[in-house]
Parts: sequence; C-alpha cells; structure tokens
Amino acid sequence: MSNKQATARGPQPVETERIALKARKVSFSWEDTPLHWVPGDPFTTHTINVLHLLLPAGERWFVHVYKQVLPYIRDERLREDVIGFIGQEAMHSQAHDEVLPHLRELGLDPTPYTAQVDWMFEKLLGDRTLPPGRATRWWLKERVALIAAIEHYTAFLGDWVLNAEELDRRGADPVMLDLLRWHGAEEVEHRSVAFDLFQHIDGGYRRRARTWATAFATLVFLWQRGARFFMENDPTLIDGRASFRDFHLRGRQGLLPSTGAMLRSVPAYLSRTYHPSQEGSTEQAVAYLASSPAAVAAVTAEQGTA
Amino acid sequence: MMPKLRTAVVVAGAALLARRAVRRRIQASPLWPMPSLAEPISGRPRALTVTVSAHEEIADGVVQLRLEGHGLPRWEPGAHLDLVLPSGLVRQYSLCGDPEDASAYTVATRLVGDGRGGSREVHERVRPGTELQVRGPRNRFPLVEAPSYLFVAGGIGITPVLPMLRSLAERDAEWRLLYGGRTRASMPFLEEIEKLDAGRGRVTLVAEDEAGRPDLATWLGGAPKSAAVYCCGPEGLMAAVEERVPRVHLERFAPRAAAGGDVAFEVELRRSGRVVTVPADCTVLDTVRAELPDTAYSCAQGFCGTCRQRVLEGEIDHRDELLTDAERDDSMLICVSRARGDRLVLDL
Repeated sequence: MSNKQATARGPQPVETERIALKARKVSFSWEDTPLHWVPGDPFTTHTINVLHLLLPAGERWFVHVYKQVLPYIRDERLREDVIGFIGQEAMHSQAHDEVLPHLRELGLDPTPYTAQVDWMFEKLLGDRTLPPGRATRWWLKERVALIAAIEHYTAFLGDWVLNAEELDRRGADPVMLDLLRWHGAEEVEHRSVAFDLFQHIDGGYRRRARTWATAFATLVFLWQRGARFFMENDPTLIDGRASFRDFHLRGRQGLLPSTGAMLRSVPAYLSRTYHPSQEGSTEQAVAYLASSPAAVAAVTAEQGTA
Repeated sequence: MMPKLRTAVVVAGAALLARRAVRRRIQASPLWPMPSLAEPISGRPRALTVTVSAHEEIADGVVQLRLEGHGLPRWEPGAHLDLVLPSGLVRQYSLCGDPEDASAYTVATRLVGDGRGGSREVHERVRPGTELQVRGPRNRFPLVEAPSYLFVAGGIGITPVLPMLRSLAERDAEWRLLYGGRTRASMPFLEEIEKLDAGRGRVTLVAEDEAGRPDLATWLGGAPKSAAVYCCGPEGLMAAVEERVPRVHLERFAPRAAAGGDVAFEVELRRSGRVVTVPADCTVLDTVRAELPDTAYSCAQGFCGTCRQRVLEGEIDHRDELLTDAERDDSMLICVSRARGDRLVLDL
C-alpha cells in the first residue's frame, strides 16, 4: 500500500531534459602525485583517499549486480541509462584501483584494508546460494536498493567536490583533483539512474529506509576505519590519528564535506518526495566534463580510433 | 536489595572485561573484526612495466629483446607474454630466456612485412631504454610428462620450444627436434641448439634453400605412440603435423588470419542453438545482439566487463584490458575480442 501512495504523490524528476550517459575511458598518470596530495594536511588527504579503498570493489559490485538486473527492466530508456551507468561505474572502479599501486610505492600498502572490502562486496554482498525464485529476487532487490542509497552519497560527494574550491586554494595535486572531479561529475550526471531503477524494480518505502540505514551505517563504519588505517600506517607520520573533531574542523574549513550538510542529506533521502535530480546540477557536471583534462583526452582518443 | 547489587556488580565487571578484551584485540589487529578475501582483487597490478635493455638482431630479420623489470613472475617453458607496444597494439610473444630469471624476460620476433604492424613496430620503434607494459606470462603450450618428446618448429616458432629443450636437456630426457626455416641465416638459436644436442644427432635442421621442405611423413613416421608431440610454426606446417598426429600440442603465435586485419568467423550460441557469422568489420557483440537483443553490454570498448561471456570451445584472440589470466582461459569480452581460429562456441 505504502509504495502505491508514494508513487501517487510521486518522487518526480525536476529536470525534463535527459542526457545520454557515456563511459569515458580516462587514464591518469600518478608518478608526480605526492603522498600528501593536499599539501601539509595528511588527515584531509587520507580521509579522501578512503575513496580509493572502497570504490574499486564497490563499483565493481554495482556492475555485477546491475548486469543481473538488466533482464528485469521493462522501460527502454531506463535500460539505456543503466547500460551507460554500468560503463561509467566500471571506469570509476578501475581509475581508483590504479591509485592503489601508487600508494604502495609511496610506502602505504592498502592491501590489508582492501582485502576486507573485497571480501565484503564479493562474499557478504555477492550472489548467495539461494533457491531460485523469490529468495533470489528478494536479494537482488535488496542490493538494488542498497546501491540507490549509496549513490545518494556518491552524488552528494560528487556535488561537494565539484564545488570544493578550498582544495584548489590549498594547492592540492591537480591530477588527483581531476580524478575526483571527473568521477564526481559523472556521479552527478548519472545520479538519478540508481534511484529510478530502484523505483522501477521495487520502490517500496520500507525497503528504501531500511537499506538507507544499512548503507549509511556501513559507510560511516568503513570510512572512519579507512581514515584511521591510513593515518596509522602512513610512513611519514609518527603518531597518526584520525578523530571526528578533525573531520568536523576540516568540514568547517571546506576541505571536507561539512557535518551539517551530511546530516541534512539524511531527511532528504528519507523524504517520500525525494528524487536525486532535486540535488546537484547537471549543467555544472557537464561543464566540468567538457574541461576535465582526463575526460577530454578520453574523448579525443576515442574519436581518433573510431 | 543485595541480590540486585550483586547482579549489577557482576554485569559491570563482565562489561569491563569484555571492553578490555575487545580493546586488546583491536590493538593487536586494528582492522579486526572483518574477514578478508584470501586473494585480494583491488589494487592488483594490471600490467608490469619493463625496460628494453637489449635489442639485437640474432638472425636475418629476427630481433631479440631483453626486457628488464623487478620481481617478474616465474614462468614455465612454453609460456608467452602479452606485450603492449608504444602504439597501444597488444601482441603475444613466446618467452625464450631463462625461466628462473626474475629480473628479465627475453622474447624474439621476426619482421613480418605484411603483418598487423606489431613486428614492424618492435623492429623499428622499440629501442633500448623504451618502457613497455607486459601482461602474463601465461602458458597454453605447457610441457607435459612423457617418456619421450618430438618437436617440430618452423622459423620463429622455435622460441617456445627452446626453453623446453633446455629443460629436457637438463633432465636428460629423450627428445628429437625438426627445425625448418627458409635459410640457415634466418633461423635463430642454431648454435645453442647444436650445443644442446651435444652431437647425439637428435636435431634435424632443414633450410628450404638447401634441402626444400622437410619430409614430415618420414620424420614423424618413426615416432613412438607414447611420445608427446609439439609444433609451433607457420599455419601450413601446423596443419600438416596435426593431420598426421592429431594429438599434437600446437602453439599459434598469431591469430589464424594475422595478415590483412580482421576476418570473419563463425560463432555458435550453444544454449540458443544458433550459429552466426561475425563479419570482418563487425564485433561479436553486434552480431550476437542482432540475434539476442537482451545481451548485456555497456562500454563497448573492452574495459567494463559487462559483456563477458563464457567460451565453451575455440581459441580466443583477447583484445580487452580487463580480464585476468584465469578468466581468459574460458571467457571473453565479446565487444572487442575475436576468434583466433575460425569458430567460437559461446554459452549463450
């Protein structure tokens, strides 16, 4: 009943214009990126670095799940969006994955942590041995809902990083900033896909709330653990620590998302009229992609071979 | 009153103990309590970087490269390497150096005038100091246990055979080699092969300009049934050997139609019971989607892995940058990869 009501009042997209999603085959060279790519601020560096720990396995998992959902999509336009989404996510996963060997070269081996994230996405959230039919479909819906909740946060972070001018002022490494903003822009660009797919496949409000709670708690758990892991194992820090206070302070300075904005994003997603297109700006994302060195190089390379 | 107080004290004590235990556990291993994947996937190096340290012509039109790197994976005789050339072309070359050497790989390549450009690039653009990416090594031509061995090598096809001979010579196993080429000057490694033979007449060298084509029938005729037969060389030679000894182990160093770009081939979709022909200018994905529109795909450029399909039969010409060696054994990305032979069977 509840989801019927929800669709009646409808989470409606605010923008009518739609753009075709296209995977851009980017590449970054990391040779010149220093360990602390936000100069003199290991905490900010490592807090953002946690992305490189979570995204390779996480976005690979998105692709894996969405491949299984494709046959259930009955809307042709949504299907095309999902196909574009898969390609973009696969590229994100690989782009972040390529940072990991560079971190290892700089003396910060991420493997103990990434091996756990791999376990989580490959085993815990993988295809479980379930009887075919209801149980399998339930598990698939549950994962689609989880992805929609996670994508709420990736779009939030994408929007944040596109506007994080403080990072430029502090002289952050341009290659790393381009990776984050290219990724962020594509997240903003496709921010509605995961939610639309969830609405199409299931759309139940209770499932949305339940999976949001799981995703949020897990993200907070993994993120603080990742930041601590990096700070403790950073070879240049004698007594590296990560604390919530540091996070809150950096948020106020504009180096990290602010605590207030993060808290405000909670009721936004839980509102019955929520639709991702209400947040972030597609124009800004598209504008960045038109100027991003990596994205421009990818488009030129593709036109060269085509 | 008393029992309640006692309960409270016991509970508080237990909680304190539990907290201390957890703290200690976390101190011992900060990433506790999550399990981890035994063979992590994230952050795995996709390709190794090697530097060309030597580039020499070891026979007419044959160039040998020494590729130096750090901690290179070991390999077994018969293995080959994917070499990513400066232009982005990916070509396979058999390893012909020392398998125990973890600091360098050695490959040899012949300049093919009408080839797909890979050999020309190795001969002309690759120089000492050039950095290259390599993937592998992989082995689809492994040396099996056998009472005796027969090798037929044609020209540059000697490269995967050479490390096998070295290893057999060390074990003092029984082997014979038929090595053919256009001229003696164009046949690499002659000196070493004669040394490996140690004057025991196990090697038959046939240069076409002196003795014509080798007489396969006679040479293979006396082979014992239990001998393992290996052949690597031009397509015609391999077909001739396979006709006489169907159990032969073959190594193709180029897809069946290396010259002149891609060719058409047949794809059987076993579960749907259909057979389609993939034209030369069309991908497997496009052809399959015309039959099965629901086939999943996304980037169509060989990096997302959405279109990966299981391959039941046929040799694959992998052109993606994603799949691991293990995955390459029995699956392919149908958006970019093609057949090495003239037929593939997909589980579709």
